[in-house]
Formats: sequence, structure tokens, C-alpha cells
Amino acid sequence: MADEKKYTTVSIPKPLYEKIKARIEGTGFTSVSDYVTYVLREVLASLEEEEKEEVFSKEEEEKVKERLRALGYLD
Amino acid sequence: MKDGYADSVKRVFVIGLDSAPPELLFNRFFDDLPNIRRLLEKSVYGPMKSCIPAITIPAWMVMATGKSPGELGLYGFRHRKKGTYNDVWIAHSLMVKEKAVWDYLGEEGRRSILVGVPPSYPPRKLRGCMVGCFITPDAESDYTYPGELKREIERLVGEYIFDVVFRKDERGEVKKKIWEMTEKRFEVIRYLIENRAWDFFKFVEIGLDRVHHAFWKYFDETHHLHEPDSEYRDAIPDYYRLLDREIGKTLKLLDLDETAVMIVSDHGVKAMKGAFAINQWLIEEGLLRVRDGEIREGSRLEKLDVDWKNSTAWAWGGYYSRIFINVEGREPEGKVSSERFHEARDEIADLVKSIRGPDGEKWDTKVYYPEDIYPVARGDRPDMMVYLDNLSWRAAGTLGYETPYLEENDTGPDDAVHSEYGVFSLYMPGMEESRQAVTEIYDFAPTVLRLFGIEKEFRGRSIV
Repeated sequence: MADEKKYTTVSIPKPLYEKIKARIEGTGFTSVSDYVTYVLREVLASLEEEEKEEVFSKEEEEKVKERLRALGYLD
Repeated sequence: MKDGYADSVKRVFVIGLDSAPPELLFNRFFDDLPNIRRLLEKSVYGPMKSCIPAITIPAWMVMATGKSPGELGLYGFRHRKKGTYNDVWIAHSLMVKEKAVWDYLGEEGRRSILVGVPPSYPPRKLRGCMVGCFITPDAESDYTYPGELKREIERLVGEYIFDVVFRKDERGEVKKKIWEMTEKRFEVIRYLIENRAWDFFKFVEIGLDRVHHAFWKYFDETHHLHEPDSEYRDAIPDYYRLLDREIGKTLKLLDLDETAVMIVSDHGVKAMKGAFAINQWLIEEGLLRVRDGEIREGSRLEKLDVDWKNSTAWAWGGYYSRIFINVEGREPEGKVSSERFHEARDEIADLVKSIRGPDGEKWDTKVYYPEDIYPVARGDRPDMMVYLDNLSWRAAGTLGYETPYLEENDTGPDDAVHSEYGVFSLYMPGMEESRQAVTEIYDFAPTVLRLFGIEKEFRGRSIV
């Protein structure tokens, strides 16, 4: 539906809000929400980046790579 | 509105045969496979167009989610780590962020059982249970959800087998091990059918792909390395018969008056004409520069002293080739400015498309740009995806050969490559005859959900 709301509200402590407000003054961020959204996206993206590597231990990763190479997937 | 047949469906059972091609399953072997034939005679069936790239990972997840490789951010087994030339991360189950059919079903309280659907390591929580696929490191790993299921499997079949490495010359050993793997898998499948509650069941047998790759030249009279009198001449037809027997035993456990049965594959298979050393070609074209005076045959690019500052592009091999442009600011020692990126890429694409075969014959090479063929191209995508002679030629990433045209694969014996069309079939209770249909891999998810009365937006369409 076209008028379905695309945003929702989350709560953060007031002092944190004030701190962020002070921090973004004079920057390209137009609101605290803007900044919080930006930071959360960055954090999630870097967590996802880490997950890529953490699933296999070094030893397991070598084992899997070696097998995938022997199967022709890593030529 | 659901049609008449779909109304009586209470459960869906999906047989996944990695790399099964329509040419063999529906034609050449049709009469030799009594159990599969009986099923097909009451099914809608035909070729199913795979995704780009037509590779096991991402194809099985494209099928299960109805989303493109770009939306999934999965372009193969390995992906380039940002800011590096050849450091890779390996695809695994946690990288799949889109919902699969079993996630939608779980939301409605329905239970699923999955066996070997790639990528399924590490095992993920779902409403139901699952057994990991062939990217599981080994039988020591935790490869089931819930964890206790692993012990039940071990009690049943001993050490479970995830995969068999086929690229070695002891073919007899490879054959024995693949047969053993498949028999164990079907035993586990039948055990789960009888001992777990389920509405949706899907398994993938990887053995078929391994048999195709390992034994194709003995079977295909038109293959350039065909050995007519080999003791392995019948390995491929024998394996299809093994599958047919196992599937027959399995179907006996299902109530076909209320269970829909599907057979699907992620891509097809065809003869490999040869391998093309793509990085060697890039060097010959002046697009890639290395400082090594003499390059030993079969060298991997990451072992060489590449003059990156003066290199425009480099490539990865595999069933399809990925080409990367060496972009300033994106790569550690980029050469091409981001303003020139599109122009440089188009120039290389034109060159790639003009590559001819060893005898000057024209190739049907296809070049795809990820951002053109997917709604979005997430994650670590290549700049260019290349099907050399429409996949008939493998790409070899290694170099140092007399000519870039290699008769055999560069990294161990392999005689087959992927083709774009896999198989699709759907039996529904009450069907008395067969019907032909051409489908796309994107049609699977909406079709399965429709059988359960669930409607969601997908790019594919339900065929019921």
C-alpha cells in the first residue's frame, strides 16, 4: 500500500539523544534520526562483513577451500 | 483460486538432483528408469532455466528463495574480499538473508525437513530439522539442526558422507565412494520421512553432479577425449539406475493421494570442449602485466609478481569466469579511474566476445554485468561474468601454458561443464497424465507456496 508507513519509532536515553544532537551540529546530518540510522546501518554492515569470516575456523576454511578446489569450484 | 489438483495437496516432497539435465532424465534414460518414469507420466514436466550463474551455489538458494543471485549477494562458492585482489571468503548458509520457502512455511506453523540443500553449513534453525550440505567441513562438524539429530544419523549409517572429490585418477575408488554416499543419504532421507513430522521435505543429491564430471568422457561418444572401451562406460547410466531404485523405495513411503512430488535440478550438464586460460589471454592482450620472466605451467595468479599499477583487469576461472577491472580507489593499486570504468569494461567485454576457438571457429560467448541482470547486485560482485562459448569452455585461472586453449582441465581430470537448463517436474494427487512445461528457476518458490495456499510477490510465477 502506498501510504503504508515506512518508519517506526525506537527509544533511546535522553542524554544520548542530546549528545548526538550536539555532535551533528554543523554536519550534513539533518536530524538525530538520520544519524542514528546511518550509524546502525554501518554497524550492521560491518557485523555482516565479520560473519562472512567467522563461520569457518582457519583450519576448517582451509579444508573446505581445498575440497572446493578439488571439485573445480575455485579454479 | 487454486486448481483442482492443488487442492488435495497436504504435503510437498522435493527430489533435488544436482545437475540433472532434461536431455538425459526426460529423454535418453526415460525408459531405463521405471520409478521416475511412472512419476513423470503423471506430472507436469520439462526443462527449467537456471539463474546466471548456473552454478550450484547460488542456484539452489535462488530456487528456494525466488530471489536472484544479485539480491542474495551470492555469485558462486567464493567471493572476493573487499580491497584485495585474490583473498576470498567462502559462501555459507548465514549469508542467505532472504526468506526461503521453508521460512514462509514455518511462519504458518508448517514443518520442513531439509537434507543437503546448499549452502547449509552451518546448520540453521528452522521449524523442522535439517542435515548440512557438502560445504560442511567434515563429519566431525555439527551438521544438523537440531544438534541431537547428528547422533541419530550416526547410529543409522555410521559416518555420513557429504561429498566425494572426483578430480583424481583413481576412478574406481571415486565411483565406489559416490555410490556409498548416495545409499547412505537415501537411508537418512527415508528415516526422516518416517520418524519426523513434516509438511515440506526437500533433499539435494550431489552425487549426480560428481558422477557427471568424473565419468562424462567415458559415456559421451561425441566428447573430444571419449574412451569407447573403458570399464567406466556405463558409470553414468548405472548411477541413474541407482537413483531410480532409491527414489522408488522412497516414494513407497509417501501417501501419493495427498503428497505432491517434485524433481528439480539447479542446472544441466554437457561435454567440456576444453579450458581457456583467461589470465594468460589477458596478458597477451596487454591488459594484465606480470614481472615474472618465465611462468611455470599451471601457476596461479596469486603466486606471481603482478605489476598491478599497469594492469587493467584480472580474472578468476571456474565453470564461468569472473573478470575484475583494476579500479583506482577501489583496488589497492588501481589503474582505471572510476570515470573510465564503464568505458574500459565495455572495451574488455567486446574483446572477450570476439575470442574465437583454437581452430578459428566462432564462439557463442556471453558477457553479463551484474547490475544489468539483477534488480540489485548486492555484496562482493564481479565486474563481469563470462560464459565462454556458452559454458562449453571452462575458464582456467592458471597460466604459463604454450597456448591458452587447454584440451584438459587445468586442475585435475574433469570432462563436463554446466548447461543452462536443468529439470522441473511436479506430480499432484489426482493427475492421470503428463503435461509438458518450460519453467524458470524463479518459478519454484511461488509454485511450492501456492501448493500450500500461500501467495507472495515473486518475479517468477506459480505453474499451478
